[in-house]
Amino acid sequence: MRPIGAGFVLLGAGISMVGTSWDVQWHIDVGPDTFFTLPHLFIYAGSAIAGIASLVVVLAVTAAQRRGETPDPRDGGVAIRVFGGRFTAPLGYLVTGVGAAAFLLYGLIDLWWHGVYGFDAVLNSPPHIALFTTISITMIGAVIVAAAGREKRWGRFATMISVPLLMTFFPITANAFQGVNLPFDTIVASTTLIIVLLLVLTRAAVGRPGIAIGTAAALLAMQAILWVFTPWAAVTYADAVGLPLRDGMGGEPPLIPSGIPLAAIVAAVAIELLFRRGGPALAGGVAGLILGLTFVVQRDVLGFAPSPVTTVDLIATTLAGALFGLLGGFLGARFGATLRLREKVTA
Amino acid sequence: MIRRVFALLAALVLIPVVTATPALAYEPVNIVHTEHVQAGPYGLTVGFSTWPLRAMQSLDFTFIPDGGIEDKTGTFMRTGPSGSHTRPLPMARHPRKRDVWGLDVFALQVEGKWKFDFTIDGPQGHGAGALTNLQVLPQPGPPLALSWAVCSIPFVALIGFLIVVWRRGKVRQLAVA
Repeated sequence: MRPIGAGFVLLGAGISMVGTSWDVQWHIDVGPDTFFTLPHLFIYAGSAIAGIASLVVVLAVTAAQRRGETPDPRDGGVAIRVFGGRFTAPLGYLVTGVGAAAFLLYGLIDLWWHGVYGFDAVLNSPPHIALFTTISITMIGAVIVAAAGREKRWGRFATMISVPLLMTFFPITANAFQGVNLPFDTIVASTTLIIVLLLVLTRAAVGRPGIAIGTAAALLAMQAILWVFTPWAAVTYADAVGLPLRDGMGGEPPLIPSGIPLAAIVAAVAIELLFRRGGPALAGGVAGLILGLTFVVQRDVLGFAPSPVTTVDLIATTLAGALFGLLGGFLGARFGATLRLREKVTA
Repeated sequence: MIRRVFALLAALVLIPVVTATPALAYEPVNIVHTEHVQAGPYGLTVGFSTWPLRAMQSLDFTFIPDGGIEDKTGTFMRTGPSGSHTRPLPMARHPRKRDVWGLDVFALQVEGKWKFDFTIDGPQGHGAGALTNLQVLPQPGPPLALSWAVCSIPFVALIGFLIVVWRRGKVRQLAVA
């Protein structure tokens, strides 16, 4: 049951990821929107699959516990007693399920929002930020489920898939801070924080040298898949429904995969080299420096920087990357250690 | 047993996804109000699919030069009430009304007086003109702060969860020490 439950959660998270990348590209290249487009269906189906899988696992674990069996913390994380012990929920599945349920609720709010304001496709409307956050929560649950199985090969494999999903998805929420005026690129800084935090977390949680590099390699593979799939899907879907591409569109790099730092694997190598010798915070700081510098250049080259990057911007954002990386390393080590917890928790 | 439940659930979710027909009909562009702009030798009709305009509420805009867009190019620049403006953007055909230029489901985010600057190049040379004092009324719906408060709940809950996790990590570190 363990790999099956985790597999469905990963499948749901993956479908949400693909749907989101597709949807964003659809709005950029083609345009018109209704609530019931195929990419939207993917996004909603992803959360539904992850949510239902979590519900089934929680019910199964609850039933087992009532039969007198002790919940195995390798099965989705430490068992949490919910509603005064009426349910016994492995932490990972609980988080995934709550995220998925909240996602569907905010989907209704988003429908109302589009009714009032129309279908202007902006990433950073309040309901969209809530939807991105709830999908991220679902993906955090997937990471907890995967890391709980770290002694097994499927657990490490699932970790190397679930962590890149979260790395790609969570920074989208950072669009909420787009309007904030700071001397550095806030998207670069927040993406750096999240990627470094999760690489260090993975290294600390699984406790095996090389896992951070494996995770970054999976991220690169996912980026490549989205890079090829996303524009193709947007154009193919447009053809299928008889809509033309916008004037002057279709040639630019796809937005979501472009938002993944290409140098994440270099940062992962730095983390692997420095994790034991220099400590996780230093490892994170160096990785953050690498990501800050390279990602600001990547965004400029691909045409996604808000304004042309000056030398001052470059230095400020690189330094911000190092600081956010330091923080990410510090946080990631602690959260990673927490993921190794095995004793029962009552909440 | 559990495998069967999973198979059933997978079927319940996947069958509608695989068999769903995407929404095929998109709403036509329905212009309810127009304004006239003179850009040098060219007359330009600016169309709006809702009127009056409200902040954050999206609508279709059309820009139709007299005699059609065939032999012309143009640019369009928006200036908000604060005076900040976009770069002059090349005119693009409206995705659902390909015989004219336009913006599809687009919202002006701020209330106040907006200005649209146009340039048109065509057989009669270069022309420039502007639509000034385009009044945008306050946003509909609840106050934006309330919308953000409701929609920030998941993020705040996530931070709360992470703080709890963080404190448990400390317990572990103490136990190890």
